[in-house]
Amino acid sequence: MPLRETEAIVLRTYRLGEADKIVSLFTRQLGRLRAVASGAQRTKSRYGGTLEPLSYVRLWVFERENRDLLRLNAVELLESFFAMQKDYRVQVAAQYLAEAADRILPEREVNERAFRLLLAVLRSLKQAGEINRPLLYFNYWLARLGGFLPDLDRCMACGRALGQENGYYGPGSEGLLCADCRVSGANQTVAGATRAMVQRACAAPLERWLTEEKAPAGCREARRFLEEIIETHLERKLVTRPMLEEEV
Amino acid sequence: MKDYAEPLARLIDELKRLPGIGQKSAQRIAFHIERASREDAERLAAAILDAKDKIRLCSVCNNFTELDPCDYCTDSRRDPEVVCVVETPYNVLAVERTREFHGQYHVLHGALSPLQGIGPEQLKLKNLFDRLKTGKVKELIVATSPTVEGEATAVYLSKLIKPLGVKVSRIAMGVPVGSELEYADEVTMLKALEGRREM
Repeated sequence: MPLRETEAIVLRTYRLGEADKIVSLFTRQLGRLRAVASGAQRTKSRYGGTLEPLSYVRLWVFERENRDLLRLNAVELLESFFAMQKDYRVQVAAQYLAEAADRILPEREVNERAFRLLLAVLRSLKQAGEINRPLLYFNYWLARLGGFLPDLDRCMACGRALGQENGYYGPGSEGLLCADCRVSGANQTVAGATRAMVQRACAAPLERWLTEEKAPAGCREARRFLEEIIETHLERKLVTRPMLEEEV
Repeated sequence: MKDYAEPLARLIDELKRLPGIGQKSAQRIAFHIERASREDAERLAAAILDAKDKIRLCSVCNNFTELDPCDYCTDSRRDPEVVCVVETPYNVLAVERTREFHGQYHVLHGALSPLQGIGPEQLKLKNLFDRLKTGKVKELIVATSPTVEGEATAVYLSKLIKPLGVKVSRIAMGVPVGSELEYADEVTMLKALEGRREM
């Protein structure tokens, strides 16, 4: 029963019995995993506030053979995102990140780039207080790292370059369609200028993009398109997405 | 061959659906009920049905009650100007155990948790605002849990309620009594420092 040390981001927690919690974690060295934190529900829990969702922690876990659930041994807080709760919109956005990561990332698969992405986006949410650019950046890179980001420059049906034309999509879309291939239900659009902006902005580090004073036009439109792509890939709806729409 | 006779298996399955009851506990309770007298079993079944039939939500504070409004809302010794907002009915008991709070309550029946699909619409807020609009309430103490969800709910409530001219306060967060400072994590310690008071 080896004791492993790793950095992790707490994605969410579930109550387990009277006093324990199951913690869903995205770890840097072991990938996404779930572990039991004994006594974590108690007021005098040794974990204190370290297991609150989206905390960046260093932890030690016992791995058990043939068991999916690991056992938490100790947790040390590296960075807390508790202060983000001051803004409900930011909280919804942060929980969207946690849900998307929890659903998309495969269990026990190390993904250093996705880990750095999640941490960077969380930090920018905390600092900027703005949600559209961080979420767009997260969606773009999550889809790209997951290998399901569609070609933003071409119609997915006929392969024609979209140029400055609008691209069309609807529920269940895996990419954009040109006006000729557009099917019923593909009522949403992503403008050519927006697609160019996304590819330009997401090619640079997020912190650099956030130094620009204002979010460019089309950020929200592009974010929604990529959220649709993520849901199509997951084959399920994200619980937090409708709340994001209400609050943004 | 089945492990248990069908009625017993059904009882175990039903018990397992209760919070905090796993397979082993459900088996133990089921066998206990099976060994007990018929009167004991009937008393248990009647108590469950009785609670289900007679208990409802107080129309003023949303606490579980047999009589509407509940005892807390009708007790003339309690101060109607101070209302303590809690997440669940059992949080009322936690505050009551202090024997120091003499105001009234409001139970939200949850906390904002986008991950669980709980937004402001899912919380019982309407009758809270009805109470505030009467102008009788002078202070609202937000006693939601010191978790991400509880804190978000507190901040959300304070933003909505402050413009109504009602004083909104938050219960203190920090180091639990009886624990050692060296074991306190940064968030807990920070909250303790932020909530310090003059002596």
